[in-house]
Amino acid sequence: MSESATKPMVTATLDGRTVTVPKGTTILQAAETVGVWVPHYCYHPGLSSPAQCRLCLVEVQGAPKLAPSCVTELQEGQVVHTESPKAKEMRQGVLEFYLANHPLDCPVCDQSGECKLQDYVHAEGRVHGRSREPKRGFGRDDYGRDVLFYGDRCGRCTRCVRFMDEVAKDPRLTVVERGNRSVIDTFFEEGLQGSAFAGNIVDICPVGALVSKDFLHKARAWDLDHSPSVCPNCSQGCNIDLHVRDDVVQRLRPRANLEVNHHWMCDYGRHRYEWMNRQDRIEVPVVGSSADGVALEWGLALRQVADRLANAPQPVMAVASASSSNEDLGALAHLVRALGGGEIVFRSERAEKEIPLPGFPTLTRRYDLVPNRMGAEILGMTRVGKDDGTGGLEGWAAHRGTLLVLGDELRDVGVDFGPSAGLYVYLGSYPTPAASSAHAVLPVTTFAEGEGTFANVEGRVQRFWPGVRPPGLARPAWLVLAALVERLGGAAVPESAEAAFLRVAELAPELQGLTYEAIGTQGALLNEPVALPGSRS
Amino acid sequence: MSSPLDSARPSEIPFRNPGWAGNTGQFELTEAEVRGDEYIGARALDGGHPSGAPAFPFMLVERNPDAPLFEGPYKTRFEKILTRYPDVQGALIPVLALAQEVRGHVSPSTLQEIAQLTGIPEAEVRGVASFYTMLNKRPVGRFLIQVCTNISCNLCGGDEVLHAFLEYTGTELGETSEGGVFTVTEVECLAACGFPTAVQINSRYYENVTPAGVPALLDRLRTEAR
Ligand code: SF4
Ligand code: SF4
Ligand code: FES
Ligand code: FES
Repeated sequence: MSESATKPMVTATLDGRTVTVPKGTTILQAAETVGVWVPHYCYHPGLSSPAQCRLCLVEVQGAPKLAPSCVTELQEGQVVHTESPKAKEMRQGVLEFYLANHPLDCPVCDQSGECKLQDYVHAEGRVHGRSREPKRGFGRDDYGRDVLFYGDRCGRCTRCVRFMDEVAKDPRLTVVERGNRSVIDTFFEEGLQGSAFAGNIVDICPVGALVSKDFLHKARAWDLDHSPSVCPNCSQGCNIDLHVRDDVVQRLRPRANLEVNHHWMCDYGRHRYEWMNRQDRIEVPVVGSSADGVALEWGLALRQVADRLANAPQPVMAVASASSSNEDLGALAHLVRALGGGEIVFRSERAEKEIPLPGFPTLTRRYDLVPNRMGAEILGMTRVGKDDGTGGLEGWAAHRGTLLVLGDELRDVGVDFGPSAGLYVYLGSYPTPAASSAHAVLPVTTFAEGEGTFANVEGRVQRFWPGVRPPGLARPAWLVLAALVERLGGAAVPESAEAAFLRVAELAPELQGLTYEAIGTQGALLNEPVALPGSRS
Repeated sequence: MSSPLDSARPSEIPFRNPGWAGNTGQFELTEAEVRGDEYIGARALDGGHPSGAPAFPFMLVERNPDAPLFEGPYKTRFEKILTRYPDVQGALIPVLALAQEVRGHVSPSTLQEIAQLTGIPEAEVRGVASFYTMLNKRPVGRFLIQVCTNISCNLCGGDEVLHAFLEYTGTELGETSEGGVFTVTEVECLAACGFPTAVQINSRYYENVTPAGVPALLDRLRTEAR
């Protein structure tokens, strides 16, 4: 490791285990490297450490007092006990204080199941509280935007205050009053209006004090499946988790990636997930024009479409979507190539301005409100149309050759699309009037239902995983398109999204050398000499 | 309203205490101007407790909730305060105290003005102001009566004294009596535990107060208020 050559390292004993970490690492972080999780509230890896919650106290042998492990640096030769009776007793005492005024309303609290207070008290708290004082009550406060504050649940860790101050650089939250009356608030009725990143404070609140109005009482935390994904709402490609219950996406949560979005995401992206739950779907392949079309099973449908494609009228033109994965776009490009080549265009929405996160400007809500413009462009597709994602297809009504559409709903064109085309194949997820003249309509999965990769604005290829089961006969577009290529005499159908990805590299040298394994959960830069998983510091 | 600083006072000795106030040479100020009027001279004659006066100089000054913030001598003092601290955050508490001296309490709009003047975020100004109970967030009467009910005073009848004040002023705890004369509040230890019950009225300390002594004390204040 080159790290040890440049940085002095310290070796110490932690709960009987030997740890070696760079000098300056805190005990809490060092413990994490050997799988010891010290309880903590106020420490958050994306924020400064005020060491004020006193929950991370650990025993350092020889030291007179317990040390707050979130700010105490591990020293050479130190012997640390995180689970000694002394440390446990102290943390138990701290936890008892946290519960002295806590309403214990877990049954109706959205945080229940992912609450740090619940977890810690369950793990090492007292079974019964001893306080006989009446609890003081605050009720709840609406901070505006998506944020609701339940004052009684708050533990004053000030993560939210520090996020607004240090990361959003919009210091609008503060601790008001003191002692057991202290409460988080803004300047009187000001609220969080106008903040583009306030949603993050709901994520980092370790208890149920800050909750999302959008998510309020929608699902219990333990019923949610988490699938790692990438935000599809702009070309920044923030790493996220889809939280899904019963095949319905309930919310998006940021997933840490220090090179893309740190621990954060923007509110714009966070609240644009409802479309993933759209119920109006194309569920079966239909071959034939809208008047005499018949629903078919895939085998028949593919054969019939392939038969017609075998004599595809020229020229071939295709409309793709920059919201499709590299796999889907690559498969489309392969099909167009198999048909003798042709132009592929895409349309995409562009915002008027970027919205950077001041404390971490690497994360910026980008101009392009689609996740994969970069991928479409390295595959040689051209962007047409206006910044609202419409237009650009004016000359296409008269097109007499072959028309392929992937993903674009063509709402602005409607029934006027492709009436005179010799052959028109529409691959999409949602029924649209623009498909009414299509000779075949093939159902494909959405982003939330499939696996694939996007290339973000800086050229980072990132993977997403399926979170929702597709309805009916919808299949990934790469699979459908590759099946058509195979039936036209091309290469065999790839067995997985990963194999499909490897085939995309045939068309784009930028992707060569990348594999799903190398991309991992944190992404890899286009044509970067790829690091082995785990060696990324 | 004429500013108390307008009239020359015998106690206006030139200010020389660089250790306390960091005399930068930028200002020609008397100690009275820096620490506030009423600080020097008057206290001993009034029988006030010396420790109270420097901390709450403002409480004896005529207050006008609509007065402009920091004009004339107050402006000079405001600027002086800013020079005394390495950053503006440090100056916030004395600035709030000065604002209270002018207006009698710090209302949300006063906090807003201070945020603008100092460049400190509004929320932070509110956070700091709300932390300190000595900053009045609501208007208070001409006499702010703070009765200690902490341990020593409590053992010696602090609660009874508090009730006597409430009864004879005819107010509720924290409310202001008719005509804006009295506001009675309960405070923690006033550091005069040797003489319970301790009561602080504006900047003056009254010690060994008993319920029986309350009516006479209030009468004396009423006379002063006229
Ligand atoms: S609201 Fe949540 S994040 Fe903010 S101080 Fe309270 S517990 Fe911490
Ligand atoms: S910045 Fe872009 S990718 Fe990140 S959360 Fe916002 S919309 Fe999604
Ligand atoms: S996490 Fe260490 S004191 Fe809060
Ligand atoms: S307890 Fe009353 S002054 Fe100390």
